[in-house]
Amino acid sequence: MDVEAKRIMALSISKLYSLRTQRGGLCLHRSLLLSMTMRAARDIYHTAQLLRDAEEEQVVPCAPDAAIEEPMEISKDSPQTLTPKEVAMKHQEPKETVEDDKENQCASERHSRKRRSKTAIEPDFLPLKKAKMDTDEEKQHLQGEVLRTNNGNSCRQAETLTAFPTNRAVVAC
Amino acid sequence: GYLTDVSVSARPTADIISTVEFNHSGELLATGDKGGRVVIFQQETENKSQSQWRSEYNVYSTFQSHEPEFDYLKSLEIEEKINKIRWLPQKNAAQFLLSTNDKTIKLWKISERDKRPEGYNLKEEDGRYRDAATITTLRVPVFRPMDLMVEASPRRVFANAHTYHINSISVNSDNETYLSADDLRINLWHLEITDRSFNIVDIKPANMEELTEVITAAEFHPHQCNTFVYSSSKGTIRLCDMRASALCDKHSKLFEEPEDPSNRSFFSEIISSISDVKFSHNGRYMMTRDYLSVKIWDLNMENRPVETYQVHEYLRSKLCSLYENDCIFDKFECCWNGNDSVVMTGSYNNFFRMLDRSQRRDVTLEASRESCKPRQVLKPRRVCAGGKRKKDEISVDSLDFNKKILHTAWHPQENIIAVATTNNLYIFQEKVN
Repeated sequence: MDVEAKRIMALSISKLYSLRTQRGGLCLHRSLLLSMTMRAARDIYHTAQLLRDAEEEQVVPCAPDAAIEEPMEISKDSPQTLTPKEVAMKHQEPKETVEDDKENQCASERHSRKRRSKTAIEPDFLPLKKAKMDTDEEKQHLQGEVLRTNNGNSCRQAETLTAFPTNRAVVAC
Repeated sequence: GYLTDVSVSARPTADIISTVEFNHSGELLATGDKGGRVVIFQQETENKSQSQWRSEYNVYSTFQSHEPEFDYLKSLEIEEKINKIRWLPQKNAAQFLLSTNDKTIKLWKISERDKRPEGYNLKEEDGRYRDAATITTLRVPVFRPMDLMVEASPRRVFANAHTYHINSISVNSDNETYLSADDLRINLWHLEITDRSFNIVDIKPANMEELTEVITAAEFHPHQCNTFVYSSSKGTIRLCDMRASALCDKHSKLFEEPEDPSNRSFFSEIISSISDVKFSHNGRYMMTRDYLSVKIWDLNMENRPVETYQVHEYLRSKLCSLYENDCIFDKFECCWNGNDSVVMTGSYNNFFRMLDRSQRRDVTLEASRESCKPRQVLKPRRVCAGGKRKKDEISVDSLDFNKKILHTAWHPQENIIAVATTNNLYIFQEKVN
């Protein structure tokens, strides 16, 4: 059931993406239906994940990160209707809990990902390019420090900031 | 009886048909397409006095209604596809229709010219001026017959009133106003006034992230000029009375059927979205179309429809595949016959369904060149949902989902129907024995 849910979730997201490039502008109706379907699938998948992780926790006690992260997710989740924006952000989280160890290992890769997102946010036309790069490096250094001390929690939060902009698909109109 | 006998009218241009509408007398049939063109067919009847008469619809006028546009502010292209055509009741010799794309509604005047003035004193017949010195007598120009010419001219352009995509237009019974509906708002226009419209429904939330439903269709009541309905993506229909307040956000009636919990799936939300709503001619009922069914509602009963017809229930187990290939988003329309006894809607594989309310009978017919020879009776089709396939049945898996009939129309008085496949228009007429 959750395999199906994950598939529908992924399918919905790719459809939402392709909506943005369609001629005639964004179709509000369709993007709403897609978001709702994705949300329904996400809820099923998420519940299945919770159950599976709870089982795993009993079987394999030495996975403290997974155990810590799950309660955080539950508290963030509200049972009421999630907005498409929240759904978009939440979508990132289930993926991350699965790849949690990978995240901690591939710290350098995460650095490079963050750098890309940083330059995407800041405009190109700032005159002091050299200074900007230095600032970036400084920030990365700081974040690196944070990574090491917080077991990747803050890292994961930063990751959600780079969530794909599905929310903009609905909000922009 | 079943509608039989065929006269197939292929359209001059092979563009995807996006709307089909008979005028109030049924003499004219308008189609709009994805390329922004409108093609109007005119009924020509042979042997009308005899019992076995046959109608043919031939091309009467073709014109380009909308062109693609570009919204520079939003960097968006505005499609020229005609979403809806609605005819105005005829008041004089000319015919008028409203056609709309996603953003702009236009009022077109279609008029005939079958005579021209001849015998000018100062001009030759070809328009060249005559030398005044050669004119020795004067004559009065007279009208002489000429080959019929049908001209379409845009009389009004109603623009810049919709932020979202227009899905419906509906002419009021007062013949002075009409409504246009987009995903979140409904506007009221006067046919003579293009520079302003009144917003009568606004369901846009303050925070767009809280959006849970959109408007999918809207229509004025056929007789009560103060009443209109609009349907939503959540499967509800709201009836509004314009006398109650200027902004009709509060409905007078809310029509909603509770969901059957046994049918719940990932796609419940999508398939409950209403794609079309149509009042019956007598104004006592309305019909809604969602993905799998047609429902007839009594305007006096809000909590459930009085009749429900399954259009293609065999698709319920295929919803996931239909989600994958986007077919689940197809917006099927529906229509009533002249006396509200039969309703019709389209399906896949070029099938369309006719549901006889009075006789509690339904039939599936096919609109395709192979199965329709002129003057031949249409054979009913059957789809095999599962298990053993009988002879002449088609299995669900062999259905062609690219061949969909989204738009159908029924002549207001006679048993003549227009069925639009992707590129072709089929016109069927009932065989009277």
